[in-house]
Amino acid sequence: MQAYPAILIVDDHGGFRAFARSMLEAAGFTVAEAATGAEAAEAARAVRPGLVLLDIGLPDLDGFEVAERLAASACEPAPVVVLTSTREARDYGGRIAASPAAGFLPKDQLSGAALRRFLAPEP
Amino acid sequence: MNRWLRVALIAGAITAVGCFVWSSWPPNSHYAPVEITFAVVGLSFMVAGIAAWQRWPASRLGLLFTIVGYLYLVPYILVNLANPVAWTIGNVTEGIYGAALAHLGLAWPTGRLRSRFECGVIVANYAQNIAFNTAGELFWNPASSGCNASCPPNLLLVRSSPSISNAIGTAQGYVGLVMTGIILTLIVRHWKSARGWSRRAMIPLLWIGAAVGAENILTGNLFHFSALVTYTLLPLVLLAGPALFVISTVRARTAGGALGTAIVDLEPGASPGRLRDALARALGDSTLQLAFPQPGGSGYLDTSGQAVDADRPDNGRAVVPIAGSDGAVLVYDEGLELEPHLVKLTAAAAGMALEHGRLQAEVQAQLEQVRASRARIVEAGDAERRRLERDLHDGAQQRLVTLSLALGMARDRAAGADPELEALIESAGKEAREALTELRELARGIHPAVLTETGLAGAIQALVERSPVATTITAVPDGRFPAPIEATAYFVVSEALANVAKHARADGAQVTIRKRPGRLVVEVSDDGAGGARPEGGSGLRGLADRVASVGGVLRVDSPPGGGTRLEADLPCP
Repeated sequence: MQAYPAILIVDDHGGFRAFARSMLEAAGFTVAEAATGAEAAEAARAVRPGLVLLDIGLPDLDGFEVAERLAASACEPAPVVVLTSTREARDYGGRIAASPAAGFLPKDQLSGAALRRFLAPEP
Repeated sequence: MNRWLRVALIAGAITAVGCFVWSSWPPNSHYAPVEITFAVVGLSFMVAGIAAWQRWPASRLGLLFTIVGYLYLVPYILVNLANPVAWTIGNVTEGIYGAALAHLGLAWPTGRLRSRFECGVIVANYAQNIAFNTAGELFWNPASSGCNASCPPNLLLVRSSPSISNAIGTAQGYVGLVMTGIILTLIVRHWKSARGWSRRAMIPLLWIGAAVGAENILTGNLFHFSALVTYTLLPLVLLAGPALFVISTVRARTAGGALGTAIVDLEPGASPGRLRDALARALGDSTLQLAFPQPGGSGYLDTSGQAVDADRPDNGRAVVPIAGSDGAVLVYDEGLELEPHLVKLTAAAAGMALEHGRLQAEVQAQLEQVRASRARIVEAGDAERRRLERDLHDGAQQRLVTLSLALGMARDRAAGADPELEALIESAGKEAREALTELRELARGIHPAVLTETGLAGAIQALVERSPVATTITAVPDGRFPAPIEATAYFVVSEALANVAKHARADGAQVTIRKRPGRLVVEVSDDGAGGARPEGGSGLRGLADRVASVGGVLRVDSPPGGGTRLEADLPCP
């Protein structure tokens, strides 16, 4: 059993992806990257990530739509989707709760520990 | 009408009636009523003559009325003079006013006869009248008719023969009947062919026609009526024509005023069709047409869509251009040429009304343009704010996030190795996070991303959550609305809640947004101090402007001590 599953970072901002990758790799995760919604779907099929860190503001589809598609695709087991943004959760009203994503993490609070909490929710 | 002519006519009328009274003085109690009626009828034609000259200077009607008046009175004056010459002339010319009356009827209303045939009929009528009178005089001896002492001798008498005199009288009756029949037929034809104003102007003529007929039947030698009928009925019928004419003249003098009233009564923005109707009524010409040039110079169309040739109007029609109306014209009954002043006044009134309508349409169009441009300016402002917020989000915020993450990583690496460096990096990270928070607030103030992301319901929820005064949402419709409406509704609630927090000293507030057919009604109320004034500096003025920019209405109800209720009624498909 893999203790640290692969993480797919979906974000159109290259600088953020680079920092997130080095931070998460340092935390022991295997990391894959995608810059758009379309790339995300493709990478999810290829990499089979355990967790997708999904930016809401993407150039093609928005994060909510990508989350819907990931949930609807036949990936088994379905990855844990964590939405992220430089904005705060309340800027999205009830849309986060209504989406199939597991939760929301503001970008500036990203850390390996924060993601681990999504992978193994405390009982 | 010339002042001297008027003086002469009035003096003539007074003199004629004066002579008549003088010639029949002292009044015989038996004949006095008859003589008074004579004077009144004669005078009525002279007054109608003055009225006609005054009203229609271009018409000969005034002259004809005056001639009828003199021909009516003068023979009787002459007969009364008890002078053989005057007596003979008076008897020869007695009844000739009937021919003049027929002339007046056929020449109505211009005073000119319309054809050579009608000219011939009138000349023949005058001629037969004088000829028969003269012929009868040759054989009529007043003494044999029982007029011995009071009558002067008949200077034309050739042979006293009552039978010849009577035979001539009977012949005169038949010829007169035929002539009258012809003349009345012609008058009826004139009446039937007249339209619009001309037909109205002919109303007195109908009475004159009746007078021509009555005169012939009652005074002709064919029928014998009692003196009561002849001397009561005939004057009444004779009087009706001039009386009606004088009345119609007085009414025509008020037509100018009627025009003014018609224009004033016309509601603003009335159609050209309604303008035409009002003018036609005021002018008394039901055939009046208001015609506009067609684009491309393809002639004119009137208000009922009928083609009009303004350069060559139909027979009996005349055209007057309307000044300052881009070439519109009035086409009217030619009879109105007799009243050029009225036509000028009508054209001026039409011009004013059209100009008024044009200006109103122009102002309306400009207002529409201003409204549209105001809405565009507000929309452009909104779009610019959305773009700014987006730029902040994609640019500076993104960089600050990355910086903050990098500082976090740097701090982790420095941890343990260099506590001083770790503390320094920690404090730099804190600064970066605070900068990020401030930037987020700034961006939200520029444009609420939540409105674009989730629509009105989510955005209002977020506003209410941030409001320092306890606020409940009674109703907010789900679904999306046009961006300017969503932005305005959001702005109203945001500004209203800010006012509640700043000024109202309220314990609670309520937000209600309801979708109505074609509208979105936004209502924010509180239980605070009230007394908010839309013209005050509480931002309500700006709010009202903002609401008006999308075509909505803002109502503020804020009695002192009674809380404030603010309602924005926005148009929304």
